[in-house]
Amino acid sequence: MTLVMNALQVLLLILLAPLVRGVIARLKARIQNRHGASVWRPYADLLKLFRKEDLVPASASFVFRLAPMVLFTSTLVVTAFVPLLHGSALLDATGDFILLVYLVAMGRFCLMLGAMDGGSSFGGMGASREALVSTLSEAPFLLSLMSVAIAARTGSIAGMVQWTMGQSFFQFSAVHALAFVALALVAIAETGRIPVDNPTTHLELTMIHEAMVLEYSGPSLALIEWASAIKLTVVMALLIGLFVPWGMASSLSALALAVASLVLLLKIAALVLILALVESSVAKLRMYLVPDFLGVASALAILAVVFTALMR
Amino acid sequence: MTRLAFDSFLVAMLSVPVVTLISRRWPKARALPPVLLMGSLAAGVAVAAVGFWGGQRFTVDVSQVASFSFALSVDRLSAFFLLLICSVALPVILFSSSYIPRHYAGVRRHWLWVLLPLFLLSMVLVVTASTAFAFLFGWELMTLFSAGLILIDGDSEQRRHNIFIYLLMMHAGAAAVIGAFLLFLPHAGNFAEMRASATLMPPPLRTAVFLLAFVGFGTKAGIVPLHLWLPRAHPIAPSPVSALMSGVMLKTAIYGFVRFAFDFLGGGPSWWGYLVLLTGCVSGLLGVLYAISEHDLKRLLAYHSVENIGIIYLGLGSALVFTANHASIWAALALTAALLHCLNHAIFKSLLFLGAGAISDAAHTLDLEELGGLQKRMRLTGAVFLIACCSIVGLPLFNGFVSEWLTFRSFLAASEMTNLSAAIVLPLAAGVLALIGGLAAACFAKVYGVAFLGRPRSRQAGSANEVSLPMQAGMGVLATACVVIGIFPGLVLRGLGTLTEELLPGAALPPAAASLSGVLPWIALFVLVLVAGIAAFKRAKKLTATWACGLPGLDERMQYTSTAFSKPLRRVFSQVYKADRTLDVVPADQPYFPVSISYRSVRTTSFEKSLYRPGVDAIVTAANRLRQLQTGNIQVYLLYIFAALIALLMFMRWA
Repeated sequence: MTLVMNALQVLLLILLAPLVRGVIARLKARIQNRHGASVWRPYADLLKLFRKEDLVPASASFVFRLAPMVLFTSTLVVTAFVPLLHGSALLDATGDFILLVYLVAMGRFCLMLGAMDGGSSFGGMGASREALVSTLSEAPFLLSLMSVAIAARTGSIAGMVQWTMGQSFFQFSAVHALAFVALALVAIAETGRIPVDNPTTHLELTMIHEAMVLEYSGPSLALIEWASAIKLTVVMALLIGLFVPWGMASSLSALALAVASLVLLLKIAALVLILALVESSVAKLRMYLVPDFLGVASALAILAVVFTALMR
Repeated sequence: MTRLAFDSFLVAMLSVPVVTLISRRWPKARALPPVLLMGSLAAGVAVAAVGFWGGQRFTVDVSQVASFSFALSVDRLSAFFLLLICSVALPVILFSSSYIPRHYAGVRRHWLWVLLPLFLLSMVLVVTASTAFAFLFGWELMTLFSAGLILIDGDSEQRRHNIFIYLLMMHAGAAAVIGAFLLFLPHAGNFAEMRASATLMPPPLRTAVFLLAFVGFGTKAGIVPLHLWLPRAHPIAPSPVSALMSGVMLKTAIYGFVRFAFDFLGGGPSWWGYLVLLTGCVSGLLGVLYAISEHDLKRLLAYHSVENIGIIYLGLGSALVFTANHASIWAALALTAALLHCLNHAIFKSLLFLGAGAISDAAHTLDLEELGGLQKRMRLTGAVFLIACCSIVGLPLFNGFVSEWLTFRSFLAASEMTNLSAAIVLPLAAGVLALIGGLAAACFAKVYGVAFLGRPRSRQAGSANEVSLPMQAGMGVLATACVVIGIFPGLVLRGLGTLTEELLPGAALPPAAASLSGVLPWIALFVLVLVAGIAAFKRAKKLTATWACGLPGLDERMQYTSTAFSKPLRRVFSQVYKADRTLDVVPADQPYFPVSISYRSVRTTSFEKSLYRPGVDAIVTAANRLRQLQTGNIQVYLLYIFAALIALLMFMRWA
């Protein structure tokens, strides 16, 4: 039963992901006084792209087509580690948060290679910039997860979620706040949102992710887009699970699950609203300010680790 | 039985140079040396496997016939490193069996086949020696044979200078190692006596032994700032020799350090661990940062050896801190991580160097800026090189990840210790390791992306062809090992667990170490099935031209180069590089309408200069002073002799 539930969690997250993107786009449009496209538009886009043919540059090798597949698959594996509706996940092993960080890195590495296989300068440009951002975000990503792991005295993400559920909301420590802010900053960098990267840009001076995927089309592009939508949602789920898991089902009854689903949707909606507000009100950073942005995240993550160790 | 096999392994290895010399005038016997060498290495693998997994100990003592106590003994630790040497050398020799005849002819080829087995044998001697004399004998030979192998590739002024620095630093390191052995006097005979006497040593002496071993073995391992020789010596050797030097020879230094720090001394105060940890952090970070700015493939790989030695030292340092705090279970985990990373690095680094050999064989250059598009021309080489890149970066499902994960896991475990400084410092070291991992990912995305993907940047790269079958096979074996250990780490972990239990009294590998081995095969299966499924679903593709913004004339020079790729990171970490730049604009008074602009940027390793320059200057000054003694006047020399005689007589009278 738990197994089925955990599998359903993964499925839910994968299917929900494009909707989250659609809602963000719609909200941003509304905030900017535009009407905006339907929230279901990302699904239609994916369907359209999957039906199209896959255009491959003549100079490209097998890496070009393999990269999106591995990116997509590794992102799916990441979702299997994150609890969504109740405090357990499909895959659960001590130390799996390290695996999670490296699985995310694996997807990025593949995409960087795929981008460079296109043979234009855009791919290299995007990959080079992505290398900068991802290099500097890996340490704060790992350290902020580590600080929660130290506090919870467990190495597994599901274990950490369960531990936080057992805590009282009003005893939310300053350490947790530090780790939360660090992880949120990293999440922005990892998912390529403003102010680190602009997902809607098509100007070579500013783009990172878009420059990498410029050469892709059809099903390959669909996989990349879907994977990045899943990544955004899974990072949100991770933030929710680690820092505000209250409301998750403690038993597998229908009522508890229904409540948990509702609460989850509300939490995601809140995060989406915050993201849309931030993206509409903040300008993208100059690329050489991104290291400072991630430097702040690193400093916070280091402080979080030091303080958790001190306050054990 | 095993003992007999070990003896015959040694004899077979020794016979290879003899056979090479005897059969050198007989062209039909050209294949004889590599075949014989591979056969004996296979025997070595078998012996080592029995020793490592089976735990059989055996000794070969020739003290009766030698004038010094000279004995070899294989315990589990030796067996592990013997396994590392033989199992990595086997595919490397397979690769060489085709590479060497293609690139070296006549005398040089014979010398290679004479020196290669001797070089391997000297490393075997180091890791199996059970007396100080045998160890130091092997240690010196290892340096000399490797220097000889480098010399085979030519002896220009620059190369001689590099080899001189290599030999100089190796001997300085060897002096420290000899010093570490001498401090055990009068029990410096065999290892068992040394182990017993170490427990009775006063703490200051133990510290002295540790520091000497740290410096001596650290020089060989290439830790920063003692790494100066490494990026000079490794790239100029023939590629299979570079593979052996970087992949295997550096590990003998780790063996020596583990032997001293854990086996003889049994750990020490915490600051030993912190020292090793700090060294690991600095070596890891500087190694990878220097690597990123390189565009000569072999130099880049050599710097990555510095980085990976740093990662191994992180594991060793963490193990020492745990031992000092009596947390031997976690010490076992950290030590396992370090030893496994030794094996993993040996596999993927030698694969990368062999890949570099294959590239230079096919494209006749190792300059990344002139490569590109090799994946389409060298399918297998490209695929195995990609596997090696994924492994060294530490991506899940490849072997590098397993050992890095174990290191991370040991850092996390430190947070549960009562010792506050360890509970803070070790988890923070995880951040450094993550940063190293991120930088390595950037570097290898650059290497693989620029060399193998996109379009060829030069005519040679465009006309490259796949290398010969034995070369492919050699690389294929190593790549398979990367993937197998990456998905089924339990194969090696179990043996390593027993090894660390023997090395650290009261330790047992915690079950946490096994948690990964339970998850990885499932992930591998899932990834395989899903990728295969998607690939089957979207089989149809259509070839087009690369998008060039609708303009004609997109050429390969418009691709990002290796230098361009690393520019953002070099800029962020500019403190490390201190590039020496000169910009000449002619004429100077018209900056916006120049006739010519010349720009030159040379990366200087300023901290090395400021570190080594004073020492070198002092030695040169002292030598110049001493030269004044040499007047060339025979009367003065007679005076010296007379003075020496008087001094000796006075010494004899009062001493």
